[in-house]
This record gives sequence, C-alpha cells and structure tokens, in this order.
Amino acid sequence: MQLKINAKDLASGIFLMLVALVGLYLNQDHSLGSARRMGPGYMPMMVFYIQGGLAALVIFFSLFSGPDPLAKWTGMDAGALVLGIAAGTLAWKFSPLVWSFFGQTYNAVGLGIIVGFLVLAISSGWKVVAIICAAVALFGLVLEKGGFFAALTAVILVSCAAEHTHTKKGVVGLLAFLLLLCWWVFIYELDIRVNLWPQS
Amino acid sequence: MELLLSNLAHGFGVALSLQNVSFALLGALIGTAIGVLPGIGPVATISLLLPITFGLPATTAIIMLAGIFYGAQYGGSTTAILLNLPGEVSSVVTTLEGYKMARNGRAGAALATAAIGSFFAGSIATILVAASGPLLTQVALSFGPADYFSLMLLGLIIACVLAQGSIIKAVGMVVLGVALGLVGTDVQTGQQRFTFGIPELSDGIGFVPIAMGMFGIAEIILNLERPESRSVLSSKVGSLWLTREEFKRATPAVLRGTVVGSFLGILPGGGASLAAFGSYMMERKMSKGRHLFGTGAIEGVAGPEAANNAAAQTSFIPLLTLGIPSNAVMALMVGALIIQGIQPGPRMVEAQPDLFWGLIASMWIGNLMLLVINLPMIGMWVKLLQVPYRFLYPSILVFCCIGVYSLNNNVFDVYMTVLFTVFGYMCNKLKLEPAPLLIGFVLGPMMEEHLRRAMLLSRGDWGVFIQRPISATMLGIAVFALGLMLMPNIRKGKDKALAE
Repeated sequence: MQLKINAKDLASGIFLMLVALVGLYLNQDHSLGSARRMGPGYMPMMVFYIQGGLAALVIFFSLFSGPDPLAKWTGMDAGALVLGIAAGTLAWKFSPLVWSFFGQTYNAVGLGIIVGFLVLAISSGWKVVAIICAAVALFGLVLEKGGFFAALTAVILVSCAAEHTHTKKGVVGLLAFLLLLCWWVFIYELDIRVNLWPQS
Repeated sequence: MELLLSNLAHGFGVALSLQNVSFALLGALIGTAIGVLPGIGPVATISLLLPITFGLPATTAIIMLAGIFYGAQYGGSTTAILLNLPGEVSSVVTTLEGYKMARNGRAGAALATAAIGSFFAGSIATILVAASGPLLTQVALSFGPADYFSLMLLGLIIACVLAQGSIIKAVGMVVLGVALGLVGTDVQTGQQRFTFGIPELSDGIGFVPIAMGMFGIAEIILNLERPESRSVLSSKVGSLWLTREEFKRATPAVLRGTVVGSFLGILPGGGASLAAFGSYMMERKMSKGRHLFGTGAIEGVAGPEAANNAAAQTSFIPLLTLGIPSNAVMALMVGALIIQGIQPGPRMVEAQPDLFWGLIASMWIGNLMLLVINLPMIGMWVKLLQVPYRFLYPSILVFCCIGVYSLNNNVFDVYMTVLFTVFGYMCNKLKLEPAPLLIGFVLGPMMEEHLRRAMLLSRGDWGVFIQRPISATMLGIAVFALGLMLMPNIRKGKDKALAE
C-alpha cells in the first residue's frame, strides 16, 4: 500500500493524542477507586484512554487517506508565531514589575495575549485571526479600569483593522452607533454591573 | 386526550402573557434576521444571547431562544429562493428548485409555499411534541442509571455517525468534549480535577466561552478570511398566490416533508438540514412532478421547507423528555436551562409545567408570527442583506464580549473565549467538527454521574449494561449504527448526502 498522508487528519490525531497523554499524566494526582466505588480519577482515566485509542486510529488511517495537505505556511507565518509566543510570554511574566496594575487579577495574562497576537498580526496569514483575538482580549484588559465605553471603543477600532475596505467615516459612524446601542441594551435595559467611565 | 387539552390550554395561558409573547416575537425576529444573513447561524446567535437571558424568567428565556432557532429556518429560505444563497445550512436544498422558480417569475409563489409549508409542518410537529412529551416521560421515569448511561452513549454515537466527514474524528471530538467537561470539582468527593489551581475553573469550564468562541467568534474570523461573495440583487417577488395547479402539487409534498422531518428531527444528530435533504431526495423520486425537477418544481421547495421546520420542532422532544440534546442548538438549550437552575430530564414536564407547555404553545404562536413576519414583510428582509459584513462583524464581536463578561462579571471568561476562538479556528483548519464536542461537553458530566451510580448499584459488575433490557437495546442500536457506517457503500452515500 502506498503512503498518501492526510496531513489534516495526522495533525488532528497528534493533537488528540497529546491531550490524552497530558490528561493521563495529570490524572495521576487523582485516586482511581474501584469499579464499584469510582474515585475522582476513574472516569478521566477511561476517557483519556479511549481518546488515546481514537487518536491512534486517526493517526493510522491518516497515513493512507490523503493527500489532504495543510494550508501553506510562509516563513513569515512561522516566524511570527514563534515571535508572538515569545513576546506574549515575556509581557505576561514581566509586565507586573513595570506597572502594578498588571499584577492584579488576570491583567498580565490579558496583556500577554494582546502583545502576542499583535506581534502575530504582522504576518499576512495570521492577520485576521490575530487581530480579532487581540480585540477581544483588549476588551477584557480595558473594561474594569477604563470602563465600558473605553473598552467598547477599543474592541471596535481594533477589530475594524481586520478588514481593509473600512473607511474612516464608516468606522466613526459604526462606533457612535454601537456605543449608543450597547449603552441602551446593556446598561439602560439590562442594567449589567460595570463601570461606565475610567476609574482613577 | 382531555388532559392534553387542558395542559395545552395551560400552556397557551403561559405563552400568551404579554412578556412571553413579546419575547417570542423578539426571538422570531432575530431568528429571521440571522436566517436571512449568511455567515451567522442559530448556534452563534443563541450562544451570544445566553448571558442576556440570565435575567429573564426561565420560561421566557427558553421561549425566546427557541424562537431564534425555528425563526432561522424561515429566514434561511428567503435568501435561498431570491438570491440562490442559503442563509442557513438547512436551506441549501431549497436553492435547487426555489431559485429556479424565482427565475421563472414565481418567486412569490415559492416564498409563499415555503412559509405556508413551514407553518403547517411546524403546527403538526408541535402537536407531536405535546403528545409525545408526557408519554416518553412516563417511559423515561422507569429508566435506571445504567439505562440513562446507555441512552446518552447512543445519543453521542448517533450524533457522530450523522456528523460530516470522518466518524473517528467526530468520536474523538465527542470524547474531547467529555474530557473538557471533567474540569472542575468532582461532585462526589469534592476534589479539584484539572483546574491548575485556578479558582475560576473549580466550577468547570464555562459553557458560554466554549460556544461563543468556537461558534461565534471563530465563525467571524473564517468569514473575514473568505472574500465576500454576496451579490445584492433587486429581485421582483411577484404574486404571492399559488395557482390551483401549484397548490395541488405542493400539498402532498408538504405532507410527506412533515412526516420525514418530524422523524429525522427526533434522531440525535439529525435536525433541520438532514431533514431537508431527506425530503428533497424523496420528492425527486416519488412526487408527481419529479420530471420537472431542475426546472423549478414546487415540490422541491414545499417538501424540504416543511421538513426542516418540522425537524426544528421535533428535535426538542429528546431534550424536553429525556434531557438529551440531539444537536448543537439543543446542547445550548441545556446550557440555558442549567444557567436558569433547571436540570433537564424526564422530571421537567411535571416539575416545570409552565416551561414545558408554555414552550409548546409558544412554538405554535411563534410559527404564526413567522408567517406574518415573512410574507408581507419580505422586502424588509431583502434590504437587510444590503448591510455589508464589515459593519456586521464588529457589532457581533462587541455583543460577544459584553455577553461573556456579564455572565460572571469576570474578565477570566473573556480570556477563555479567546482560547476557544483559537481552538475553534484550528478545528476548522483541521476539519474537526465542533458540534460533537459541544454535545459531549454537555452530556459528559451527566454520563459520569449515571455511570458511577449504575456501578455502585450493580456492585461493580459491568454486566449491568447488557443485563438490563432497555440499556442492552440502546447499546445494540449504537453498535449497529457504528457497524453500518463502517460499510464503505453506506458511508459514501452519507457523505454525499451531507456534502450537498
């Protein structure tokens, strides 16, 4: 039989296998119990064994069911991914030393995500996914300190960068419309508990 | 029968309250809108609106969410007929004959057939839900933990069998979903599992971040990556009235579609798109106008449209009676119920009569509203298509962000959403189906509970699953379904059927 590798299935299988192995490793902390009195580790053990088995099947069949290659990565895409992960990790680890704000709750995580994705956005292949994810994370980072309106403005402006046909006029109009709409729906009608304006 | 009538009367009493009627209308309007708009489906919309329903009474919330689901079936057919552009997956087959009819100047007739057929099918299917609900509940109450476990296993397996693409990968996604459901505090011992010491994870991974990330935001990214292909046409709708000849041909098609759709809707993993396709195949083989297929046969619109709406209603049956979601939308409904503090299952009919009968009555009211919303107001919906996507996606994104945050007033959920967005995007690139994962995630914790209880009762004997007749039957069907799919011929047929 000739090998015709289905790269998509192969990658899926490897991914499922990795999750199963990590799960089994972490599950060592939990007592298994017996079939009659199952401990907290019994079900996870079964689930991850089954998943590992399925992953092995996916990997096996992927060797013959192709070819179905993954989307082409340019050198830029790969480089940006490495750089993005590095920059994100650095921002996450060291930002609390620079400003105590990042030491609170999950702010450092948020900053790490944003920095990582913004670096990733320099390559054209990742641009859309990186900008949209950065926009969502920015909402989380700005909301509690900067307030509702500042966070919304940030999401809208950043997310508009993902689509090249936007005009300045259109973005401003959209921004005004959405700020008003969100205020009406979430603050006036639903009355969610959130700061509206920046906190000192 | 009398009891059914009095229950239905009670249901109408609940559903006709001002609040419930207005939220049913809101749901139907939103549903039609997203049905018309390609690129945002009911799964994304319902997960988007889940946090907002938090403040509503349970019945009102479910009524609105249900309205979105079946409203989308109506809206999807509009663009399919007028623009040859399916707004939803379930209306793909409608484009085949519907657009041809529009080309022949019979757009109005096609739209009217779709709407009236949907309304008829929806009404019949609603009655079916009402009648089978208490009946199935009676059966379900005699289920032991072992039977429940096997039933859920069957549900998961059939959901995979009917999913698109590779079955092994779909089963893998289900198992991954179950694994994600393990995160959090173990119910029986209180031990933390896979929480990495993060306090927010001790209640488990949130349902909304997963659904919103994988179905909402990942969808936006994929739409943005595809070049916009929406051509805005100004179509002439023409007369909405059917000729006597058309009426004669459409009626039996609607009837057949209703039957096929009602049946396929109940199956786990079935639902609207499978029903529409099944009905289309049937019409092409059986109807009197089969020689006209390909030139705009009215049967090809009437049957599938009736079927997809019937299926949308009957897919509530497993959820309302057994507490088992049969597709991704129903998994979201389970999420909505749990957020409201209601455990879905056979006791729901008795414990929450307002919810059960109110929902059923509201389905009928909602279908009536949709008839009005869709036929006379068709022009308005076509206009909606002229809003470019570059204005839509920031709006969706903003609603997602606020929705996720307001669930727990915690930014942690926002970052979880980012994580699942990336995961959803990756799944799409690897052709891994996200829907089975969601069903596994919802069913996983319930399965673990039933498994543990069953094994405790049987004193550790695994044989209990084949000794109990109900459980053995379920497992038998599951094995049979899996075996069937391993045969290459049937598999090819399925892939072809679902690929359309």
